[in-house]
Amino acid sequence: MNISINYLASVFNSTLRYMTPLLLVTLCAGVCSKARVFNIGLEGTLLMSAFFAFLTQYFTRNIFMAVFVGMITGMIVTFVIAFFIVRLNGEPMIVGMAINKFAQGLTTFLLQMIFHTKGTVSDTSMKGLTKIAIPGIKDIPVIGTMFGNLTVVDYLAFVLAVVMFIIMYRTVIGFRIRCIGINPEAASSLGIRVPRYQIIATTLSGSMIGLAGCLLSLGSVTMFMQNISAARGYVAIAANNLCFGHPLGALASSALFGFTTALAQVLQNSALKQQLLQCIPYISTILAMMIFNYANNKKKQK
Amino acid sequence: MTEKIFEMQHIDKLYGTLLANNDVSIHLNQGEILCLVGENGAGKSTIMKILYGLEQPTDGEIYVKGEKVRFHTPSDAMAKGIGMVQQHFMLFENMTVAENIVFKNEIRKGLFMDRKRTVETVKELSEKYGLKIDPEAKIEDCPVGLRQRVEILKILYQSAEIIIFDEPSAVLTPLEVDSLLETIKSLAASGKSIVLITHKLQEVMAVADRIYVMRAGKVVAERLRGETNTDELAFLMVGHHPALRDVAAPQPGEVLLETKKLSLHREHRDILKDVDLHVNAGEVVGIAGVSGNGQTELELCLTGLERPTEGQVFLLGKEVTNASVKTHRDSGMAYISEDRYLWGSAAEGALSENVLMAKENRAEFNRYGFLKHDAIKEYTEKLIKRFDVKANDTDQKIRELSGGNAQKLITAREIMMDTPVLICCEPTRGIDIGAMEFIHDQILEKREKGCGVLLVSSELSEIMTLSDRIYVLFEGKIAGEFKRGAVDEKTLGILMLGGRRDETEKIRQ
Amino acid sequence: MTKLKKFGSKFLDALGQPLVAVLLSLSVGAIIIGLSGKNILSSYAIMFKGAFGDGYYLSATLQRSTAIIMGGLAVCIAWRSGYESMGGEGQMIFGALVSALIAYYMPGPGIAKILVGLAGAAIIGALYSVLSGWLWEKFSVTFIISTLMLNYIANYIASYLTTYKVKDPQSRDINSIQTGKLIEEARFGKVNGLFQSDGLKETALGQYFKDFNVHWGFFFALLSAVLVYILLKKTKFGYQSKMNGLNSRFALYGGINARGMLYLVMILSGIAAGLGGAFEVYGSKYRYIDQMIFSTGYAWSGMVGALLANFDPFGTVLACILLAGLSTGGSAMQRSAGIPVETVNMLEGIIMLLMSVKLLHLIVIRRKVSKEDRLKNEAEIENGKEAEA
Repeated sequence: MNISINYLASVFNSTLRYMTPLLLVTLCAGVCSKARVFNIGLEGTLLMSAFFAFLTQYFTRNIFMAVFVGMITGMIVTFVIAFFIVRLNGEPMIVGMAINKFAQGLTTFLLQMIFHTKGTVSDTSMKGLTKIAIPGIKDIPVIGTMFGNLTVVDYLAFVLAVVMFIIMYRTVIGFRIRCIGINPEAASSLGIRVPRYQIIATTLSGSMIGLAGCLLSLGSVTMFMQNISAARGYVAIAANNLCFGHPLGALASSALFGFTTALAQVLQNSALKQQLLQCIPYISTILAMMIFNYANNKKKQK
Repeated sequence: MTEKIFEMQHIDKLYGTLLANNDVSIHLNQGEILCLVGENGAGKSTIMKILYGLEQPTDGEIYVKGEKVRFHTPSDAMAKGIGMVQQHFMLFENMTVAENIVFKNEIRKGLFMDRKRTVETVKELSEKYGLKIDPEAKIEDCPVGLRQRVEILKILYQSAEIIIFDEPSAVLTPLEVDSLLETIKSLAASGKSIVLITHKLQEVMAVADRIYVMRAGKVVAERLRGETNTDELAFLMVGHHPALRDVAAPQPGEVLLETKKLSLHREHRDILKDVDLHVNAGEVVGIAGVSGNGQTELELCLTGLERPTEGQVFLLGKEVTNASVKTHRDSGMAYISEDRYLWGSAAEGALSENVLMAKENRAEFNRYGFLKHDAIKEYTEKLIKRFDVKANDTDQKIRELSGGNAQKLITAREIMMDTPVLICCEPTRGIDIGAMEFIHDQILEKREKGCGVLLVSSELSEIMTLSDRIYVLFEGKIAGEFKRGAVDEKTLGILMLGGRRDETEKIRQ
Repeated sequence: MTKLKKFGSKFLDALGQPLVAVLLSLSVGAIIIGLSGKNILSSYAIMFKGAFGDGYYLSATLQRSTAIIMGGLAVCIAWRSGYESMGGEGQMIFGALVSALIAYYMPGPGIAKILVGLAGAAIIGALYSVLSGWLWEKFSVTFIISTLMLNYIANYIASYLTTYKVKDPQSRDINSIQTGKLIEEARFGKVNGLFQSDGLKETALGQYFKDFNVHWGFFFALLSAVLVYILLKKTKFGYQSKMNGLNSRFALYGGINARGMLYLVMILSGIAAGLGGAFEVYGSKYRYIDQMIFSTGYAWSGMVGALLANFDPFGTVLACILLAGLSTGGSAMQRSAGIPVETVNMLEGIIMLLMSVKLLHLIVIRRKVSKEDRLKNEAEIENGKEAEA
């Protein structure tokens, strides 16, 4: 009995660890969708943030610097996306895919130039994000496992979900952003500079992707590999659809996908082979969208 | 001595070659209700859009409270105390009433919204002007009348002195109209100055202090309410009775298009209710009505683009009620849509591609699934020439044409379909007189050939000129049916606005 | 407007933007090369030589371009019709796997293996493509989510199958995840010896083509481009699908069956992508190797190519050959100048980014129509679009 409870606790723990990067990206996707900037370049943004955070840590060994660079990267890339979509009227689909493609190229290019490898870089001497062990809790058998191995940024992600909720739904600026997303024409008829709001809001929210990137390359393991983002940027778009861009809803939808990823992880020793297990997050994304849209359409017809 | 709160002098507004406003000079006095009346396209909305900063005048001067101004955006106008309730509401659907009202001038507590005070302020505002609303209701749950009230409150919240209403009753039910008129009166009584744009003369007589009549971009008359009546205003609006064409007596044949109890129910509302109409061979049947009374949905139901909730549609004796558009078209129907860019064309497509639509299966252009491009090009050139479309060549994109030329091309395509039935919606909207007469000739020629034409138009004169029979559509119901010559514009106008038959009798006497 | 001017503006419309995009991205490449401390001109010279320098390199480029072209054609068919599917990769993976398996396991003569294999690849590609169409039609799952997820799923399933179910029985190496190698007869033949007749052999042309050796797959891809061209530009289907892509309401208004259109388009684009995978197997690899499609990014390059050509089939062929040349040339550059071939991926990203914006429209086209008319038309069109949304 004890074993199975511990087992569940470790599933819970890996769900948490898989969901936090996704949560951060989903929060950014939420801001983008609320501000009516159709951003599918999240994947590339995440990849680049993860890389530059790793790179900074590798050279400076200063974790604050690394996180800072990760966030700045997220903001710069998101700014480029928003600028192309909002100011230059670019086709959002193509802008996003271009960024993803570019990120892939840039990271592998630099990987090669700096580390002379194509696959994975890790340096055991490198420190990752500071792990938080809450005194008192870490020694309790089950609960200790449940909340073990979490970094500052993991906890920060949950805090940010609440903060984003307050910003978007309680402050004047969030109110305006949501209004702009609902009816940009009405907002601009009242003299609001819609493009400026859109670009600033999305750019700032890009910093959260930066944090997510730090979690990927400096979180529970400190390493960078090609395609480390593994479609999280796309899954976040789905997660954001499920929660209608609501920051607190993002907690639930990213937990769902975090859980399916964790499931793939913990089932590793079962009869199912690894490759099939790795499909689980992707299949569950499609399934979740199907069920959700179907139920929604039914509701609308009524 | 009343004070002029604004004055516009010698305003000209040129759209391309169309003179929408021609030397218009108007003014508004403090606390007055001013009505601008005129037919569709007379330029009354344009002049107010200029005042509100939505459009820039080509020439002329504007003074507000004696000070010369030039507005580049609505916010400039708002800063001078001018607000406008537009036909299209500018509201945020899933926000509350109070949030909509305070947008941009939010009541803050530091960085945060002060929700409690917002609600209180809006409540006070609504009580002050007697405009009852629930500040915490969501806009999406509000009926149209309430939404309009929110728009008015929004303007009052920004402490506007001058309030412009652009055809405010177009979207309202009669009861809502009554309460709106009351609102307008009480606003004027509380010291606001009002401009009301409308073509509904009963409303004018109910509230106006002073009236400008506009026609073809010009102010043709200025009257005080006491010195005029609806008869005179109606005459001034139309100007002269349009020279009736010499149209041969119809030779109606068998029924080509028929509907039985056609109804469309949407979102708890009857868009169409028990519409019975028929079009015979060799006649033009007009549907008269103020836009938004179900015309759009009627055409969509007739062409198969929308499924009616109840009732039947027969085309050449065959039932096509829920059939596909293709079945409709194949059974012998052509259709000029009222919206040329939404439905009627692919703006980014070449002229030849736009002309080919619905003809791509004809042996003339198609052999075993392959298109005969030379024949298509030749055909397009023929249409361009015959309908005098100003275009460079057949590969040009339709969006590069002016609106009038695009409309001509679309009309040409559908008329040349050579079908027994033609449904024709607003075929001459936004095009010049010459092109209009040409299209009218084409429609009459179709009738001569023994085809049945259903003409939906908000231009009463167009309906009067062309139709052998007229149905009046009001709130989705047929409000009357007349043969050519059996009715005058005034009676139609009253029916279109929901007036009853006995009222029209009274006016006749 | 004079004929020459007309031609000029057409030329500008069709080629101006792609040229600007490619040149700008090459300048970015030059900056990168410069920053890595290499000589820009000589690096680009090496790159060009490694891509098109002689018959040998040209062959490498053309063979590489085969699957890219097929992926590009798939994108042409789907995107032009208004369905922004990015599922070419998954369809290609399954096409490659199925064709490799059929040709390996099916008994019979080589030609039969190939033909059945091609049919199998086409069918599986079409089915996988229809799946995303179905998800869209029935459940409104957007293409961006469905097709990308399906790509990952396809790659993992193919990886699973090659690892556990259909692994090369001959192979003893535990790390080589691949299916059995096809026999000689079940591979595409090669075209070589072009311009090598006695008279031509010594000429420059003959010298250039001395080492030319390209598998049929490339020529099948060219043939496919011709077929797609005919399909899109000459047939009723091409017309209807284009109208559907430009304004789906207009298509409905004209009586086009939207549902039939969606599935037909998905089938055709799936076939193209599936065949692309098969060509790669029969022409180059002779087996399915784990990650062979996923890691090379053929489908993505195809998408960039189709975008560059604004979905014109022949333009797509040219653009895809150019992109393949960037890769093969990039490899040469890596060998001799030490600049990683991944630079090319970045350049493709930049090309795409620049193609997303109507660069020339911003500058040139806008001047043609008078400002007032344009604004009015655009307002009307915008209103239409909004009502549609």
